Amino acid sequence: MQRREFLKTSLVASTVLLGLPLGASQIRQPLDNYKISKYIFPEKNPLIAHSDRPPLLETPRSSFTSAITSNKDFFVRWHSPKIKTHTFISGYRIAISGEVNEPLYISLDSLKNDFEAVEITAVLQCGGNSRSAFVPTTSGIQWGSGAMGCAKWRGARLKEVLKKAGLKSDAKWINFNGSDEAAFYKAPRLIRELKIDEIDDNIIIAYEMNGEDLPYLNGYPVRLVIPGWYSDSWVKMLSEIRVTKDYRPLYYMDSAYTVPDNETESESHDKPAKKRKPITTVNTKSYIGFPTRDTKVKANENTTLKGVAFDGGSGIKEVLISADKGKTWEKSKLGKELSKFAFREFEYNFQPKHSGKLTLMAKAVNNLGEEQPFAHEVLWNKGGYKYNGIDSVTFEVVK
Amino acid sequence: MKNIVIQTLLILTVAFSTLNAEYSKPVKVPSITYPLEFDKNFRVIQRNCQWCHSFGYITNQGKQSQEFWRASVVKMRDVYKAPITKADEEAIVEYLFKHYGNGKLK
Ligand code: HEC
Repeated sequence: MQRREFLKTSLVASTVLLGLPLGASQIRQPLDNYKISKYIFPEKNPLIAHSDRPPLLETPRSSFTSAITSNKDFFVRWHSPKIKTHTFISGYRIAISGEVNEPLYISLDSLKNDFEAVEITAVLQCGGNSRSAFVPTTSGIQWGSGAMGCAKWRGARLKEVLKKAGLKSDAKWINFNGSDEAAFYKAPRLIRELKIDEIDDNIIIAYEMNGEDLPYLNGYPVRLVIPGWYSDSWVKMLSEIRVTKDYRPLYYMDSAYTVPDNETESESHDKPAKKRKPITTVNTKSYIGFPTRDTKVKANENTTLKGVAFDGGSGIKEVLISADKGKTWEKSKLGKELSKFAFREFEYNFQPKHSGKLTLMAKAVNNLGEEQPFAHEVLWNKGGYKYNGIDSVTFEVVK
Repeated sequence: MKNIVIQTLLILTVAFSTLNAEYSKPVKVPSITYPLEFDKNFRVIQRNCQWCHSFGYITNQGKQSQEFWRASVVKMRDVYKAPITKADEEAIVEYLFKHYGNGKLK
């Protein structure tokens, strides 16, 4: 009895200490203590392995000091437990069918030789990245913040490929399907649909990632690249493009990878929103790669915080750093802009005066003036998508 | 010294090109054991919960409420079409809440 009383008061006390009004959102920093697995996946460094079948591999925080994520560190998110292995890559074809003048079967060689090769550096981020921040817990994999990466992609423009097939005048939707097939024959398949007017010059069918073939687990031989959009649209092992007149209802677009179709894209646990929309455009986010929770920094010595920031394509205007839990902010130094869709490096020099725990926070602002909210200001949605709270790292300062 | 460097480089290139040029053999993804607690209901989990994904999916969720685990099992059946009987549903929810529960019903 007494114990329970104590728990109650200490709970109230700690809420007040944090400065949160009672009843505020319980959304918190995403989990940051997942261990790196000792198992190594093909073409990968050791990563955080949430599952082997299907492979769900998360990139550790320390990789995010650089604008380019190496192929070996790049996260992996597969839906199907059995991934196709292509016996003859020379026999690989992308089939283009439906409302086209000429159905095509494009080989990898043709994609490389018959179309202009274009390059774009862009962030690939899972819509559920940082999901573990959401309270109440939402369904889905409880990712930390490493279900993202940035690479230089090289491939052929989707527009040019479609032009070669020739779209009929009533063509409206393009369906994409790859070899990330459903786990069970009755379960819904992961197909994406794009409206024809959503297709711009930035969208490519990529066959290279950071100057190499795509890693097998990132969709070798080809995947769709849609800069500024979440990764569920970047169909892996792309094998089928179907052009249609009408929209086909699709589980992954209409139910699974969706947020409420209202202004704040939020809902409550008891009253989920009925009207929903696909998650599409990435919001503004930053992430500190150094220091991490395991770093020990020396007091009275210069140390450089490093991280990456990005948004859905307007570009990053500034990244601000706070050493007092967000009361005051100072500008960091931004690195070169590789593209509007890429990670932008930021750096901040500091010299801690006292030993003990120190917390630094990073907040990005994009060119539209949109900035990251505090974790407790992020609004809840039942899929746990699009978390973009201000990042916070606590580490130790030693004498 | 130089010799060693060249040799490792060579081995790396060979391994890499066999993987990327043609997938003549299935690519080997390591098999990881995600250990679950053992009790009388464990075989119901074994029977129902590992066709479509590893147990990693379960352990990754952390400690959750009974309502959460119920919703998760029902989703497997209704959305992903896992053929889970009513009796198994009860045993699975009981098991998950007992070992991976946070003590709260809701
Ligand atoms: C018929 C196939 C199938 C079976 C059998 C199955 N699942 Fe799933 N499960 C899925 C699919 C598909 C997903 C989503 C996969 C993804 O997005 O990576 C999933 C995801 C999950 C998740 C992650 C959270 C979420 O909602 O996405 C949990 C937890 C889970 N399953 C638990 C279970 C348990 C417990 C059982 C046994 C009762 C089970 N599954 C049996 C297909 C299945």
